[in-house]
Amino acid sequence: MRLSLRTAGRIAWRETRSSLTKFLFVVFAVAIGVGALAGVRGFSESVRAMLNSESRTIMAADLSARQFAPPKPDQVAQLDQLGSRGVDRTLITETVSMAAAITPDAVPVLVSIKAVDPAKYPYYGAVKLSPEMALSQALTPETVIAGEDVLIRLGVKVGDPVRLGSADFRMAAIVISEPDRMSGSLNVGLRMMISREGFERTGLMQLGSRAAERYLFKIEPNGPSMEEARSAILEALPEARVIDSRESNPLITRGLDQATTFLSLISLIALIVGAIGVGMAMYAHLQQKMDNIAVMKSLGATSAEIIRIYTIQTLMLGLLGGIAGILLGRAVEEVFPSLINKIFEIKATTGWHFDAAVQGISVGMLTTLLFTLPPLVAIRKIRPAIILRRGMPDTKLPFRGRIAAAREPVFLGAIMLLGLDGIAGWLAGSARVGGYFAGGLFFSLIALAAVAALLLRGLRLFLRRSPVRLPSLVRQGFANLHRQGNQAQSILVAMGLGVMFTLTVYLIQSSLVDEIIQTAPPGVPNVYLVGVTLEQSAPLKQLIASQEGVLTAPQLSPSVSARLVRIDGQDVASRPMKGFARRYLNTRAITWENDQPGNIKVVDGKWWKPNTTEPVVSVDEDAAKTLDIRPESVIEMDVSGRIIKTRVVAEHNYEGARLAPSDFVFNEPALAGLPVVFNGGVRMQPSSAGALQRAIFSKYPTVTVVNVADVLQTVQQIIDQIALVIRFLSAFAILAGAIILAASVAGTRFRRIREVVILKTLGGTRHHIARIFSIEFLTLGAVAGLMGGLLASAFSRILLTRLLDAKFELDARAILVCVALTALLANVAGWFASVRILSQKPLEVLREE
Amino acid sequence: MSILPSILAARNLTKSLDSGSHRVEILRGIDLEIPAGQFVAIMGASGSGKSTLLGLLAGLDTATSGTIVIDGVDITGLSEDKLALVRGRKIGFVFQSYQLLPTLTAEENVLLPHELAGGDVSAGIARARSLLDSVGLGDRLDHYPVQLSGGEQQRVALARAFMVKPPILMADEPTGNLDSVNGAHVLDLLITLNQREGTTLVLVTHDIALASRADRIVTMRDGAIVADELRDQAA
Repeated sequence: MRLSLRTAGRIAWRETRSSLTKFLFVVFAVAIGVGALAGVRGFSESVRAMLNSESRTIMAADLSARQFAPPKPDQVAQLDQLGSRGVDRTLITETVSMAAAITPDAVPVLVSIKAVDPAKYPYYGAVKLSPEMALSQALTPETVIAGEDVLIRLGVKVGDPVRLGSADFRMAAIVISEPDRMSGSLNVGLRMMISREGFERTGLMQLGSRAAERYLFKIEPNGPSMEEARSAILEALPEARVIDSRESNPLITRGLDQATTFLSLISLIALIVGAIGVGMAMYAHLQQKMDNIAVMKSLGATSAEIIRIYTIQTLMLGLLGGIAGILLGRAVEEVFPSLINKIFEIKATTGWHFDAAVQGISVGMLTTLLFTLPPLVAIRKIRPAIILRRGMPDTKLPFRGRIAAAREPVFLGAIMLLGLDGIAGWLAGSARVGGYFAGGLFFSLIALAAVAALLLRGLRLFLRRSPVRLPSLVRQGFANLHRQGNQAQSILVAMGLGVMFTLTVYLIQSSLVDEIIQTAPPGVPNVYLVGVTLEQSAPLKQLIASQEGVLTAPQLSPSVSARLVRIDGQDVASRPMKGFARRYLNTRAITWENDQPGNIKVVDGKWWKPNTTEPVVSVDEDAAKTLDIRPESVIEMDVSGRIIKTRVVAEHNYEGARLAPSDFVFNEPALAGLPVVFNGGVRMQPSSAGALQRAIFSKYPTVTVVNVADVLQTVQQIIDQIALVIRFLSAFAILAGAIILAASVAGTRFRRIREVVILKTLGGTRHHIARIFSIEFLTLGAVAGLMGGLLASAFSRILLTRLLDAKFELDARAILVCVALTALLANVAGWFASVRILSQKPLEVLREE
Repeated sequence: MSILPSILAARNLTKSLDSGSHRVEILRGIDLEIPAGQFVAIMGASGSGKSTLLGLLAGLDTATSGTIVIDGVDITGLSEDKLALVRGRKIGFVFQSYQLLPTLTAEENVLLPHELAGGDVSAGIARARSLLDSVGLGDRLDHYPVQLSGGEQQRVALARAFMVKPPILMADEPTGNLDSVNGAHVLDLLITLNQREGTTLVLVTHDIALASRADRIVTMRDGAIVADELRDQAA
């Protein structure tokens, strides 16, 4: 090649410099894309970090392993070995026992005891005490600490002695909150905390006593990954139930997973929308440069040399845009950190993210190049002859819509898709997401192009064959759409894509936010009531209703202690069950419901009708799977020696909060006449929960009240934050979509100049021309809006159900609004781009011929 | 110069452009009167200002100073839209590069000036078809410009120029983009139609053969008229 890279670079720079204002848009489009990308990534990293630390806090560790027997020596050895690899552990033992004040008339109270090593526990979060002090300071071998309810029941104050098992302790402080309250196994009841040494002194931990052992693990910075640690722990403790912080709370897990996937998608969308804008702008630019290219060719430049010049130019623009984007993202961070902190209650990570910046710039340049490939390749088709003879048909953009028409476009399309797939996969860190994205884009392009082609053909046929002669304005407006060698199809595709992405973001975010909010509906109880007798239940409800700060009516559901003995006549004990599944052999709480509760979803079989007298039962999906129970199975339960034989009619799972779930839900007749207690809860203002607790205790001392208001509030906050982040980022992507939409209309500006001057020369007034254009813009916008809207619905459906595991509902109103808004936007954008053209003096343009 | 009333008159017309540091005088005081029905050829080398003069006479651009009167209407200082209306009624155009709207068929292109003037559509269609017939394109009504050759496009442009029976027709190098055969054909059609419709024809060209068919030849150099000769057109 004769043209050196340096010369090509110089020519490219000269070209860029001479029309810098024209390139501002290109740079802007890349900047928006890269800015969104960098911003979203920085942002989502902060949010992820925040969510991770919050969810670790909720279980006070990275991982926990729970089992009902103390670990054997060889297991301990394995765990020690894991410790040397950077996985620290601490043991938590939970059991129940009687505690009492040391006074002659003291009444012993059943408390749940949690023995911890205050030097290590908790790994994350903190145990809040009153009076304020550190846990390690409060818990010595001679002290215990407990919830306020325990002190009330025992009738002791901080500093008083209490007896636990065979030893005496001093009550050192009141526990206000403990981070992992929700993830303990015996968390319902009065909580007392003790050091491990103190626990030894009580003598409670004898062989055969019912205690739950729970290991908490913390992965040190140099330690293995969560997955590695998890499998190592499972290997050491095969009977244990191991959970990691990502699943520590079912309320958060799904929201976090969905939010993460969604955030990756959004950043991709913003970038692709930006890249489409760049591709279009470069296309328009090269269209205008046809003359220059033809001149260069006639002066002896080869296509390859010219392509080299414009490739360099493209990369320069990509680089400029990338840098501008990073600066933009940075500026936003600088200007709005306080806002972000206020809204999201997280520390927005400020400072330069070098990796994110490099990634942003390179992704920006790559996508710019990728989307500029078609116009660059089209340079080969520009013949030098055009400088001699004007008015030849335009070289069509081989991308968008003509994919099926020729080999070259198919090849180009394949390259672009593969490139996009790669970038998407890289950004999302998942080949699957990348595949979905590229596949979705491919399908949408084909569908949009096909619909656009059909529509334009139909319009043309209609104009030709229509018996009614449309008003000339309308006819011309329509005619502009199906002009030969015009971009209507490309614009429809581009705008349709923009609308599709934008609406998809909107639909997904609203579905997701709905779903996430439903996961922790505002009415979920935050004060639990345990052990209410049949006689107490009605007056207790009244008492609660008379309290201040009650947010929802109290709900009490019956609980009967029962043990599963036979399934379809086969003894359960004889079944080969191991590990955690054996818990189904214990005595467990069962309940009855007459109407199907709102948070129970039937997954197999059918819920009973309200007046069914035949004993029937619905079984939790997981339990049914473990125990191999199906609808029409017959299960037998032992309730205080009585055998209850019941037909299974349904399998269910709990949606959203399941704080007191029951694996077996019967109808009332099935459990009639059996000893029953009621458990339930009420939603209170967190500040009023303590007062309720005291009020109930003074009147019904046997009823246990558990206050989880603090914990639930944390959960609620996290969920609200996820929802807010999603909304915020969606707004960003929607904004980018709107800009591209405007740009796609603006891209036709230079074609319009000619039309305007010809019309003017022939006697058209500005008003007249304006109306013709309006009809064209409105039609373009409405059609693009409709196509984009329909595709967005299909796309969101796939994304929501396949990728995000959420529900989808068709939103016809959103599509209608989308059609109207796109039409309006296209019109505004069109006018924005054309208003200067309208006052163009005809001669200036005609003389350029 | 002529006893006929002038249909187009320019008085002391100047046009200059500021190109940054210096001022370029394109037209320096043009006085020109064209009587109705005359065929005037404006000649001159490239850059002599002939196309600019044509553009100003048609109100496609505004002069720096001087006045232009078209068929009794002084267009000096008229607004863009008023100018457009004057053009629509009074002037037909033929350009070197045809300037057809690519979105419209041949028939629709011809019909366009009529529609812009708010004329009755069905009557317009009849005239458009007969005009396309007379330029030999009666069978290409539904073709789009890109489907037509250069010569055919220019013939569509001719038909369009005569559509509203304008009193004045302006042509800027109408055969400049065509080969000699097509060029001659277009020129013959132009003159035939011009005579049939009784239009005043102002033609800009640097082709002497073309100009030799005019009633009058105005020659320009450096933005001024240097010669203005009436020819005896017996043939």
